Amino acid sequence: MFALIIIGVLLVIAIFFYNSLVGKKNQVTNAFSAIDVMLKKRFDLIPNLVEVVKQYTNYEQATLSKIVELRSKAVSGNISDSEKASIDAQLSGSIKGLMVNVENYPDLKANTNFINLQSTWTESEEQIAAARRTYNSAVTDYNNAIMMFPGNMFAGILNFQPMVVLTTAEEERKNVSAKDLFNS
Amino acid sequence: MIEGNIELQTVLAKLELNRQKIAATQKKGYLFIALGIAVVIAGFVMGLPVPAAVAGLASLIYGGVVLYKISDELKAYKEAFKIEVIGAALRSLDKSLTIEPYKGILEYEFENTQLFNQTADRYNTEDLVSGTAGATGFYFAEIHAEYKTEVQTKNGTNTEWHDIFKGIMFAADFNKNFKGVTILQPKDLFSTMGAWFSKNLFSFSNKDVISLENTAFSKTFITHSTNQVEARYILTPAMMERILNLNHYTKSTISLSFINSKIYIAFPLSRNYFEAPVFKTLSNPDLLNDDVAVIKFMYEIIRELDLNTRIWGKT
Repeated sequence: MFALIIIGVLLVIAIFFYNSLVGKKNQVTNAFSAIDVMLKKRFDLIPNLVEVVKQYTNYEQATLSKIVELRSKAVSGNISDSEKASIDAQLSGSIKGLMVNVENYPDLKANTNFINLQSTWTESEEQIAAARRTYNSAVTDYNNAIMMFPGNMFAGILNFQPMVVLTTAEEERKNVSAKDLFNS
Repeated sequence: MIEGNIELQTVLAKLELNRQKIAATQKKGYLFIALGIAVVIAGFVMGLPVPAAVAGLASLIYGGVVLYKISDELKAYKEAFKIEVIGAALRSLDKSLTIEPYKGILEYEFENTQLFNQTADRYNTEDLVSGTAGATGFYFAEIHAEYKTEVQTKNGTNTEWHDIFKGIMFAADFNKNFKGVTILQPKDLFSTMGAWFSKNLFSFSNKDVISLENTAFSKTFITHSTNQVEARYILTPAMMERILNLNHYTKSTISLSFINSKIYIAFPLSRNYFEAPVFKTLSNPDLLNDDVAVIKFMYEIIRELDLNTRIWGKT
């Protein structure tokens, strides 16, 4: 009888640990899709942004078309996650440069539409940062769970592998220089 | 604050006369009550209970009447102190600031912050201060919320009151859009165990425990939220540092709640602020120091947390 109870309790604990492990793995997938959603939101801002900027400025056409090109590549669908991340990094850099350059165009700077787009852009930037931090936290949780006892026993059986956290792209760490961007 | 402020000095000089009158009358009332008690005791000791009781009672009643008669004036004096003195101090800091002594943060709003798990059996709130600092509207009020426990003893039911929260609750319009609820509570053994349980085994709550990267922050607060990404959108690395800084100013750990596009901060404080002294003079130059310090502190929160930066699509 006593042995039965112990087996029962152990079984319940095992179920809990198994479920929590699977839950953590799903959380990682979920967190990754949150980044995707935020990125899509950001990519969707680009056509409007480019339109407004075009109305007020007549040079940097090359930069603008580069941005549009990158954007269409990003939303085309048949690219890998890492490619998407790298396109996003390039786009962020270009747009940051654009925002700096706007200082030279008082009319554009005062345009309500542009001001709205600018704040939505900043908003989306912080939302992406938040989504990436969420992803990293989910990965850390998952990695801890599969490496620590007793999770490592299940992970071995289920062949759960540790995942890699996202690091900031080299381009994002650098301070963006508008001069470099538009002269390239 | 008082030095060089003519408006404040005039008001204080006027109120000081009221205060002296009230203090003298109250002293008289208490004296007669004390005298009455002394007479009764002395009468019993000396074997003259009946005359002593009559004389003592008369003195007690007289003392009580004196105190009762001055009570309206006392109330008016305390109210005038809040409106005129504290009001002038507030205006000298920022024209938009006002105080309403009989208003506060309603119990409904207090419970809506979701900062405290217990429902209040007794709830008092007063001294609502409101205004704007830059682009951001804010208000704060004193709150004392308690719950009761009843223990059955030989002599009947013994009711005890326990604090849920005593201190100042601060509320301001938050500078980012969000839909869910994010709660920051002081970390203690109980909350740590609860968080571990809900994270690793099973959770009854609709909120997740949020693990944040800032270790000092995670040591001070337990964070729960209905949305993992939104919680991090609010609690950026810079914001976490700012909240930690804010927390350094108070002895007990503060609690924060982000809900209905507002930020609520609960500061546990034992003192009752903005109260007029009766037996101490109003001409003391340090009179308002504590009150002004708390007002300035609340006003500075907006700047400290950078709530006036409105670049995230919320105006």
